[in-house]
Amino acid sequence: MNKAKQNEGAVGGKLVNRIILALLIIGCLTILFPLYMTVIIAFKQPSEMTNDVAGALGFPQSWSLSNFAEAMRVTDFWHSLGNSLLLTGATVVICVLLHSLGGYLIGRKMRKLKFFNLAYLYLISGMFVPFAVLMMPLVKQTAQIGIANRFGVIVLYVVFFMPMNVMLYSGYLSNIPEALDEAACVDGAGVWQTFWKIIFPNMKPMHATVAVLTAMSTWNDVMTPLVIMSGTDQNTLPLAQLNFQTQFGTNYNLAFASYLLALLPILIFYIVCQKQIINGVVNGAVK
Amino acid sequence: MAEVILRHIKKVYPNTESKKSKKKGEPEKKKSNLLVTEEGVLAVQDFDLDIKDQEFIVLVGPSGCGKSTTLRMVAGLEGISGGDLLIDGKKVNDVEPKDRDIAMVFQNYALYPHMTVRGNMEFPLKLQKMDPAEIKRRVEEAAEILGITQFLERKPKALSGGQRQRVAIGRAIVREPKVLLMDEPLSNLDAKLRNQMRAEIIKLRQRINATFIYVTHDQTEAMTLGDRIVIMKDGVVQQIGTPQELFDHPKNVFVAGFIGMPQMNMFDAELIENGGKYSVRLADVTVELSEEKQKNLAKNGVKSQKITLGVRPEHITLAQGADSVKGKVEVFEMMGSAIHLHANACGRDTIIIVQTMNLEDAERSGLSIGSEISFTFGGGVAHVFGENGENLEA
Repeated sequence: MNKAKQNEGAVGGKLVNRIILALLIIGCLTILFPLYMTVIIAFKQPSEMTNDVAGALGFPQSWSLSNFAEAMRVTDFWHSLGNSLLLTGATVVICVLLHSLGGYLIGRKMRKLKFFNLAYLYLISGMFVPFAVLMMPLVKQTAQIGIANRFGVIVLYVVFFMPMNVMLYSGYLSNIPEALDEAACVDGAGVWQTFWKIIFPNMKPMHATVAVLTAMSTWNDVMTPLVIMSGTDQNTLPLAQLNFQTQFGTNYNLAFASYLLALLPILIFYIVCQKQIINGVVNGAVK
Repeated sequence: MAEVILRHIKKVYPNTESKKSKKKGEPEKKKSNLLVTEEGVLAVQDFDLDIKDQEFIVLVGPSGCGKSTTLRMVAGLEGISGGDLLIDGKKVNDVEPKDRDIAMVFQNYALYPHMTVRGNMEFPLKLQKMDPAEIKRRVEEAAEILGITQFLERKPKALSGGQRQRVAIGRAIVREPKVLLMDEPLSNLDAKLRNQMRAEIIKLRQRINATFIYVTHDQTEAMTLGDRIVIMKDGVVQQIGTPQELFDHPKNVFVAGFIGMPQMNMFDAELIENGGKYSVRLADVTVELSEEKQKNLAKNGVKSQKITLGVRPEHITLAQGADSVKGKVEVFEMMGSAIHLHANACGRDTIIIVQTMNLEDAERSGLSIGSEISFTFGGGVAHVFGENGENLEA
């Protein structure tokens, strides 16, 4: 009797496992299918874009790189890439340096002083303000103070990512024992030296997490550069890619080739940080 | 010279609990026995101690007694709410830790994980902008003393607990501080390693010229390491003295129970004063106190009264006859060289140590669980505590 029940349980367990496996496969397909379509469309010529299913899903007739060359020309690729790299690189570096400092200060003090607790809540509340609400005033103000340029966009990014990053850093600090600060203090280090020489190096996993999250958001952002830098001739890659959309239609082949080109740098950056980010997410989750 | 003087040192924390309960309208719950005044919670009260140059002082007491807080006040990691702290005659209440010429070993080692052992030990010296050749000399000398030379290029995560603790001590001694503070440095180690490291600390002490202040909750560490021991409870110093003084003349029931392993047996008994002669009555047994105790009690004008009688397990002897206290063995612990008997006598768990040397097999079988035993003690080893727990001889 018991054995029969056990068998029933085992069969039930297997069924659940199969359902979960099926759901996981569907989940993977929803990611892999669009990626597959992006790759094959990027290599196809406009004449190969048909409405029948077999034609749409099939491989291109030839694996020509002409779409990529054309996309690079249309988007002024190297110039746009340079702008994107500059904006993303500067934002990531400034965010890691400044937000880790802010996170350290707030994380260490918020349990002792009410002021820092309030400061933390104030900063976090920034996460709930949508960009659309701020867009028009920001366009006007940045123009008024003369920073409607790359510098202005970097400043805005640093401000926009502050709530999220400070929350991540202050949460991660609970993994770094306060005894390290105290040991450094007794050893003769001031607050500044304690942060840069002891705490900052030990927040490496969170630096990687913050860097990847910030870099991905900055790299893919269209709206901020569009509204702040329009007319400055300083296109970023996503801005340049808008050229493929015209009033009368979109050249998908060139657009997708361009998307693949734009994907590569951030993909490489992610792979470099991957080992650290996994560690960072797990450690940060403890808090 | 590095004298450390603590004058009426006090530490007050804001009483956040009472505010919370006031808001909720609930009665205040007491988490500890610390004194709560209008100022707040008194974590350390009126701590008065003169520490001589190169003396080894051990602060000991149960958790929450204020020993670590006191050490942290000396280190400068906690503010001092009242009183004066002097190092080498200079008041240092508001001096930054780095300017106090002290070093500290933390309970959890607090090694910098991203630096090698060498990096950890060099760190305080580099902050002092010391000459690199001198840094190298000092680090290698400290590593040699502590036997960690072969680990200098390793990161802390590649070391065992004992090795990490040596590195933490190394980082403290390279600075050649006037005062070396240690906050339960051995509590994270296993029993064997703890014994080994305790011996290392005793050796270390002979090699470096520093005043030691050591915090522990382990009375064995306190007894073996300290020149003098400060026993604390609920933020109040209970007694200061050499290990022998504390063992022989505990000032109150708490000290008597805290010092000594196994701890002192306590009985409800009666002190009888008859024509200037003092004796104690336990159950139906009367034991006359020694000359010295008679003199001390007479000097204090102590009268007949109910008392708490303390007798250490090693001072109890098994005996037969009418003048002995009866008990029944409940637990039998074979320790090798001795047997620890837990007997129920006079309604109290009474520990008796019986040396196994010269113990006949027949005698041993008479000590098994459930056996009836009789014991007695001398008048010179009985400790007499009044109803308030204070030693009536003191």
